[in-house]
Amino acid sequence: MIFLFEQMKIAAADNLKLPKDVVLGEVLISFVGRTSVIVENYRGILIYDDKTVKLQARHCKLQFHGKRLHIDYYNHDEMKISGWIQSMEFGE
Amino acid sequence: MKDALKHYFEGYLCIRLKGFSPERFLNLCMAKQIVIWDLKYQDGGYQFFIRVKDYRRVRPLVRKAQVRLRILGRYGLPFFLYQNRKRKLYAVGILSFFFVLFLMSQFIWDINIEGNYHFTDDVLLHYLDSQDIRYGRRKAGIDCDRLEESIRSQYPEIIWVSARISGTRLMIKVKENEVMGTIPVKEDAPRDLVAKKPGKITRMVVRRGKAQVAPGDTVEAGDVLVRGAVPIYNDAEELVREQLVRADADIYAITREDYEESIPFLAIKRADTGKSRQGLRLRLGGLSFLWMLPAWGENPWEITAKSSQVTVMGDFYLPVWMDQIWAREYQTYEYFLTNDQLEQEKQRIHQKKIGDLTEKGVQILENSVKIVKEGSGWQIQGTFLVEELIEAGKEITPELLEGETGDATGSSDLSGNQTNTTMTEGEQTAG
Repeated sequence: MIFLFEQMKIAAADNLKLPKDVVLGEVLISFVGRTSVIVENYRGILIYDDKTVKLQARHCKLQFHGKRLHIDYYNHDEMKISGWIQSMEFGE
Repeated sequence: MKDALKHYFEGYLCIRLKGFSPERFLNLCMAKQIVIWDLKYQDGGYQFFIRVKDYRRVRPLVRKAQVRLRILGRYGLPFFLYQNRKRKLYAVGILSFFFVLFLMSQFIWDINIEGNYHFTDDVLLHYLDSQDIRYGRRKAGIDCDRLEESIRSQYPEIIWVSARISGTRLMIKVKENEVMGTIPVKEDAPRDLVAKKPGKITRMVVRRGKAQVAPGDTVEAGDVLVRGAVPIYNDAEELVREQLVRADADIYAITREDYEESIPFLAIKRADTGKSRQGLRLRLGGLSFLWMLPAWGENPWEITAKSSQVTVMGDFYLPVWMDQIWAREYQTYEYFLTNDQLEQEKQRIHQKKIGDLTEKGVQILENSVKIVKEGSGWQIQGTFLVEELIEAGKEITPELLEGETGDATGSSDLSGNQTNTTMTEGEQTAG
């Protein structure tokens, strides 16, 4: 039932051309080169050290790997990570 | 920037975080809207900044997440004031700074004048000085409207004035009348036209007067070219009288122009020795402080300085001038000019003369230059054959006229022989 409701929301967003990050609460990731990334619509921090930042989004998990990673700021809406970013992966 | 200032005024702490579940603590802070920034992972722990008022709210979260916090540093205005609470003179110094700044802002320390071409800055500053407006005058006593009015009435050529005070600066913008103030008086006194220099006439346009020469004639300096006394004849071709007019004509002639320029055998050259020194001078009203090493050696020094008035922000000028000074040592030596250098110098002088003549609107027909050895040096001798206007006005005085009336009939014979002369005010081209 929940899955069906989600499908309907996706279809509505597609048809009405609404931004999915607003309608579905999807995570929004903006990279600035390899040195910083801004993550919006995340839920919480799962793991943080200078080599890994793992975040919980609404439908998935995000993992950033790199060197000298630090969090410039974070609040309810967004987080800015700086450092040398080597990779990013999504997880369930 | 705004956030950084806000944090500074509110006070903030640098915290070291260690414990069982630091991520949980960070998420709890986020949920409670506690602002944390510059979060770093260091040596198995975390380091971050937090506002003082937020730090007081994290105690329950610390217990919940089972972490320990340690304050590494305290920053911001509240801590600064607390640390320096016993330094009274320090506070007095800061307050005095603002007091002096406020005091200084009550005076004019710079006068800027724009838009003046005819009247120099010095002229206008002198006038302002006579009106008791000068550097160091109190701003409160200056009435800009009255100042504008007084400048306009003092200088009628200035048609628009705007005066305003910005910071410690008096800005005056003026607009001068670009059209001539007076209508030139038309000169109508009778005159002859005489030759300025000897030459051979090539072409002439006589607009008024009686031509005395024709193209192809050779004239000497002072020869009358066009007479201002036009003879009037009756039907019997007898001279009735002479009508005095202001002779007007364009008379071109080929003339010769010579010049001579001397160049000494030895030329002086200046060379930098490579030694230099820099300095700074601070001028504070009548006082002057110089920080610069003294000159050493016997050679002369070339000194240049760049002066600038100290400003706090934009138009907030202070009565302090800073001069940046550069000095370079140099020495002079004499050397004999080589043939190439001599040739270059000759060409430079000659080209300059050609440029001067061309600027005057003179047509150069021929030019030649040579260099000869004189007792004290070289002499450059140049010759130009040019075509130029040679007429010059010469007023007809009553005495001169009386002297000329005797041979007026004689000149009428001459006019009879010349078929290409003009006798009336009509325009005619001869030649």
